Formats: sequence, structure tokens, C-alpha cells
Amino acid sequence: MLTVLLVDDDTEFLDVACTIIEFLGHEVLTATNLEEARDWVKKETFDHILLDFMLPDGSGLHLLESLPEKSPTHVTLITGHPSVRGIIKDLCGPKVDYLVKPIQREDIEQVLSRKSSARSSPNAKKPAFTKHFGHLIGESACMHELYKLIGRVSKTQANVMLLGESGAGKEVVAAAIHQASESEGPYVATNCGAFSKELIGSELFGHEKGAFTGAVGKKAGVFEQAENGTLFLDEITEMPIDMQPNLLRVLENKVVIRVGGTKTIPVNCRVVSATNRSMEEIAQSKVLREDIYFRLAVFPITIPPLRERKDDIPMLAEYFIHQLNEENGTQYQWQSSQLEQLSAYDWPGNIRELRHFVHRAAIMSDPQSSTLDLPKTIESPFAKKQNLSSGLKAGRTIEEVEKELIYATLEKVDGNKTTAAEMLGISTKTLYNRLHAYGDLSASDK
Amino acid sequence: MNEQQFEQLQVDVHDARRPLNRITMQAELIKMALNGDVTLEKAMIALDKIITECKSCSESLSQIVARNRPDSQDNPE
Repeated sequence: MLTVLLVDDDTEFLDVACTIIEFLGHEVLTATNLEEARDWVKKETFDHILLDFMLPDGSGLHLLESLPEKSPTHVTLITGHPSVRGIIKDLCGPKVDYLVKPIQREDIEQVLSRKSSARSSPNAKKPAFTKHFGHLIGESACMHELYKLIGRVSKTQANVMLLGESGAGKEVVAAAIHQASESEGPYVATNCGAFSKELIGSELFGHEKGAFTGAVGKKAGVFEQAENGTLFLDEITEMPIDMQPNLLRVLENKVVIRVGGTKTIPVNCRVVSATNRSMEEIAQSKVLREDIYFRLAVFPITIPPLRERKDDIPMLAEYFIHQLNEENGTQYQWQSSQLEQLSAYDWPGNIRELRHFVHRAAIMSDPQSSTLDLPKTIESPFAKKQNLSSGLKAGRTIEEVEKELIYATLEKVDGNKTTAAEMLGISTKTLYNRLHAYGDLSASDK
Repeated sequence: MNEQQFEQLQVDVHDARRPLNRITMQAELIKMALNGDVTLEKAMIALDKIITECKSCSESLSQIVARNRPDSQDNPE
């Protein structure tokens, strides 16, 4: 995030440019004349100043005199005429460049990302990525459906529950909802599964000095920190069940009492919670109290796994490699056959797995070359293990696990019953008997 | 065209460019609204502003033509 000073006497331009710069994730302050700009420069340090050339009380160039000699501030002069370019080059040196009106969003984006782009090759093509709500990449139909839901819910104050597989991007969607809400307050994220039973109360609701051993000072909880903004509670279903009544009270009464305190503190924030369990699993496993579920999941949103939006895989892979190129000054490029290979895989670990895979490929490749060397195998052992272990949870019957194993084996051998029986170590007749018992075999199949 | 006329023309073009700059920025805001990045209400306001600025730009261009007419009193020729 950069701190930007925008100086222009056209308040309408200032207004829209501010919206765009803030949307790009930077902090922006404004001035409508030279005097105001000089005041800001005395008080604050800016990473970047966007400066109109012609101001009511003099040329914007006079502001440069107010900057300290070895100031790291980069200045972009906004001018109505390209002929000013020559003057700027001669007068100001490399730390000052220019933009010619009329200005587009891309122009602003480009000058503000100058630091990173300067490191990459000037000939390198800069791919364009549309980040929906400032965070989300993807143009598949299911993602556009997701954008529609985010757009709708962001206009309300409703609590949102995000359901999706591990690595599908729940936290990114939560940040997108916050961005789309245009709320005044901050975005605060915490992981309910990361705290012990003793500490989670303090994390959520805060504590007073001396509330417990080690509480040397008072601390505001995340509900207080997210005042007028968005609170993201990740892994909500991992929250200890006996802490849930406290959470319910906060959601219902919109007040918190810090651990060890007596004073009620009013809180106001949208709660976006997330879990990688399905709705059915939440209901069956009783990891979340029903009353809490209905408070949190006023508007449930299911985030599609990557295998259901395969069209987005090349774009995401391009985005990740572009990021790595920017960070490391490399120029890796995908070959179309490699992107096809990525698209063919199911990515059980979702976008997180894809991102790590791209990172691994970049580490393995020669930084002097633009060719990426892909690892021989895409499969993630962790993702595989996760899949297998889902069938081996305590509480399932041997018959259920056996049935799942039989169907998984049949799927693996494209339905060939003889091969499947061999793999399972049973006779073909036994396999037929089992399938018949499951009601999944017609008489003609026998 | 003499130097004085050219200077005046530069000022006129500068004034005409201001509404164009506003129109461009408002159009960017509408693109953001269509992406769902800002509210549609903002897009509606931006469209109204574009219409206003188009009229303003047209007015500025008419003034440039009027000022440069051979029989104009503003034209020193």
C-alpha cells in the first residue's frame, strides 16, 4: 500500500481519482492548490505525489522545491500537453514522470506500480488481470454467479457464511465482500481454530488488565477492532462448543464484555464466517450450535472448488507467474501445452495447491530462461491423503467404508468388474453380489 | 495565426480538455460499477456527469470557433 498525495484544482476529477486509487489499495490525501499541497508535504511522507502542472496559485513544479533533498517520493506531473515531457525530463530527473490528460485508470495503476514494473524487463508484456471487487480473479460462469451474490449482499448488513473446500479462497472472498461493502471500518480476520479454549475469549472479546495470568494490559477483541467494518471468522466450526453461547450473545445483543470486565461495549460490524464443512456436515456433526448457525449464515455463499471452474485455471496460473516474475525479476512464461496440463488436473487442494505448484515450478526453473520446468507429477500427496482420510473417520460402519472402496476402485478401472475384483482381492462373484446388495446392479448385468 | 492567437487557442484547448478528463474518469467509474467494484448508484451519477460535461465541452468548442471567426472582435486579424 502506498501513501499518495493527489493535487489538482478540479474537485470532480479529485473525487473520482480518489475512488480509483483507494480501490487499488492505496491511501490517498488530496489538495486543490499549491499551498494545501505544501502543508501536506510538511506534515506527511508520501510514496507518490500525483501533481497537476497548472494550479490556481502557481505551477505544480514549485512543490518539488518543498520536498526534502533525498526524498524517496516519486512525483507524477499531470499535464494537458505532451510537449511538457521534454521540460520535465530536463528539469526534474528520473524520479519525476508525467501523465497526459485525459487520464485513464490504467495510467494511474501504471505510475503507482512503477517500482515493481521498473524491475521487470521493459519489453515484457504486462498481462491485464481483472480483479473483481479488488481481489477475485476468474471469468467462469460460476464465478460470475459468485460476484452477483457478493454484489447483492454487500449492499446489506447481513452476516455471511462462506462454505467451500480448503484452499478455495474463502478469505479472499471475505476481503472482497468487505471491499464491495464500502464500509468505513477496517477488515479484521481471525482463525477460530487457531486459539486454545482459554485464549479464544480474549481474542474475540478482548480482556481487561489482570483478567488472567499474562494479561499485563487491556486488549480490544476483534469485534471491537472491526468496528463499522468486517470481521472474518475463519474455521468457525472449529470453535470450542462451550464458547459458542458467548458468541451468540454478542451476535444477538451487539455488545461485548471483555474477559475480566463488567462494562458492556457496543459493537457494530458485519461478521463473515467460513468453514470447509458442508451444510449437511455442520448439521450432522453438531460442531456448531443451531442458533449460532442461523445468526451467522443469514446469507450462505458456497465458493466453487477449482475443478468446477477449470476455465479459470490458465488465467490464475498466468496471474501467479506474473506475481512471481514481478517479485523476482524473472520473465517466465507458460507454454500452451503446460496450461492444458494444468487444466486437466483436478486440484483437490484448489487455488492454494495451484499457487504452490506454480511457485514450485518457478523455483525449479532457470531464472535466466523464460521457460518453466514443471515438476514431473502434479499430484499433491497432502491432498490425496486428505481425500483418503475422509473415508476413514470414526463413526462410520465397515459396510459403508467397504461400499465406498468398491465404488472408488470401479471408478479407477473404468467400471471393469474383473479388474476391480482383482484389485480388491475378492472374487468377481463376490463383487457382483455386493453390487447387487447395494441395488446398483440390474439382473441383466449378472 | 499569430502568437497571440496561438496562445489563446492553447488556453481554449486546455479548458476544453478539462471536461474530457472528467468524462474519462467518470467512464472508469462506470466500468468499476459494471464489475461490481462500486455501487450502481455511483454509475448513474457518473452518467449524468458525463452528459453535463459533454455539453460543457461542446460549449467550449463553440466558443473556440466563435473566437476564431474572421469577423470576430476577439480575433485580432
